[in-house]
Amino acid sequence: MRTSRPIIDKITISDQDYARFSEYFYRKTGILFENSKRYFVDKRLVERVEATESHSFLSYFSMLRFSQGDSELQTLINLMTVNETYFFREEYQFKCLVNSMLNELITHKKPHEPIRIWSVPSSSGEEAYSIVIYLLEHWPALQQWDVEVISSDIDTDIIHKAEKGIYSQRSVQNLSDTLLKKYFRKVRDGYQIIDDLREAVQFTRVNLMNEQSVRGYKQFDVVFCRNLLIYFDDVSRRMAADTLYDALNPGGFVCLGHSESMSRISPLFKVRQFADAVVYQKGRDVV
Amino acid sequence: MSLIKKSAATAVATLETQAESLSDCLTALTSSQPDHRRQAAIRLAQFAEAGPYLLKALAIEDIRAVREAILSTLIKIGDADCVSALSDYLRSDEVSLRNEVFEALKARASLSIPVTQSLLKDDDPDVRIYAVNLLEEMHDPAVEQTLLEVLAHETHVNVCATVVNLLGEIGTVACVPVLTQLKNRFADEPYICFAADLTLGRLHAH
Repeated sequence: MRTSRPIIDKITISDQDYARFSEYFYRKTGILFENSKRYFVDKRLVERVEATESHSFLSYFSMLRFSQGDSELQTLINLMTVNETYFFREEYQFKCLVNSMLNELITHKKPHEPIRIWSVPSSSGEEAYSIVIYLLEHWPALQQWDVEVISSDIDTDIIHKAEKGIYSQRSVQNLSDTLLKKYFRKVRDGYQIIDDLREAVQFTRVNLMNEQSVRGYKQFDVVFCRNLLIYFDDVSRRMAADTLYDALNPGGFVCLGHSESMSRISPLFKVRQFADAVVYQKGRDVV
Repeated sequence: MSLIKKSAATAVATLETQAESLSDCLTALTSSQPDHRRQAAIRLAQFAEAGPYLLKALAIEDIRAVREAILSTLIKIGDADCVSALSDYLRSDEVSLRNEVFEALKARASLSIPVTQSLLKDDDPDVRIYAVNLLEEMHDPAVEQTLLEVLAHETHVNVCATVVNLLGEIGTVACVPVLTQLKNRFADEPYICFAADLTLGRLHAH
């Protein structure tokens, strides 16, 4: 029979422990926890110290670093990341799209040449539809340019959900009433994207780790690939970065999640600091 | 002009996906077109035996995007021998190639353990620093002991500083005597004393 461990109540994370953990976690995942996240991180760390029956943070941290495989690290990552998605998530990048990236791209485009945007992973479609809404609402040049939006995921069930475009109140909570009325209709299970918008996004299945699967994904001008690479190991992350690079036209942009950094994965992209966001760009005179 | 409807979208280009032979890919790897060489390097990931060909191509490739693809494929398909051969490029005269290879080796640190032991004895201190930094990526409790052995005989201050920095993160009480000796040995090197004190202070605190 197992007995309770009163020592658990005494587990604390010192400032130094927090700094060591934050630095380690940042190197492993690109996610940087500043002091403002202290409560969030401490709570989850103590939870893992207890769950692994470690006697202190130090013994847990040692096990985390030296255990074979990354299963404990993955458990921590799952605890430390929020997988929720919703409309207008990390909206500053959509602002960057309409205020900066697209305007730069069209200076190099020929008339009648479409602008191609790829949103991967699609999840249940919120990101791709957010892009479309943002273009319609905030990019007047849409009158002069064709834009093609493609969104892909490895999970076929989630693709079907994205195609249906039905969302909960929580998912659309960042949208104004005006946008809700304009682009959604109320249905029994929540809100459904109107048909015009559903027809404006092509959902496809892709596996970024499979060369044949991604071979057809070329000539994009902007790729949104947010909060995905953090779940890959180093080798897979490199392969994914190569795929995104080859998917882009020269001068094309990649948008990653706020805690991700392409600079730590591949030297092939330039960092571009725009007023609204930092994004990554493929050079214009490269392979 | 507007959003392109799904039915009209070119979406994903339909490309031929028939199987390619190793021979086809190797021919493309020597193409005069850098893009063809890059795509060939990526497609060679389906051939486990492609390692030696990619290593040979890396030696003469001067386009960075192609080198990156070669390295990505090498670390995906490469075995321990391949990783060992790759580590020879850490001695390259070309700094960018050395750094690119180091970044690639980091991704396969578990395969680099025997290689790293050899690199730690290299004549070039820069190579020894690469080796210490590779140790940092390894999930192996023996790393601390290896670092302590390095400190016992290492004479180059920059290599020692790199080791002390790493011990600052993973060191245990086992490193106290060695760090104390190191401070005496490098009493005239303020950074070594500072970094050693920082680590010793942390260990005493616990």
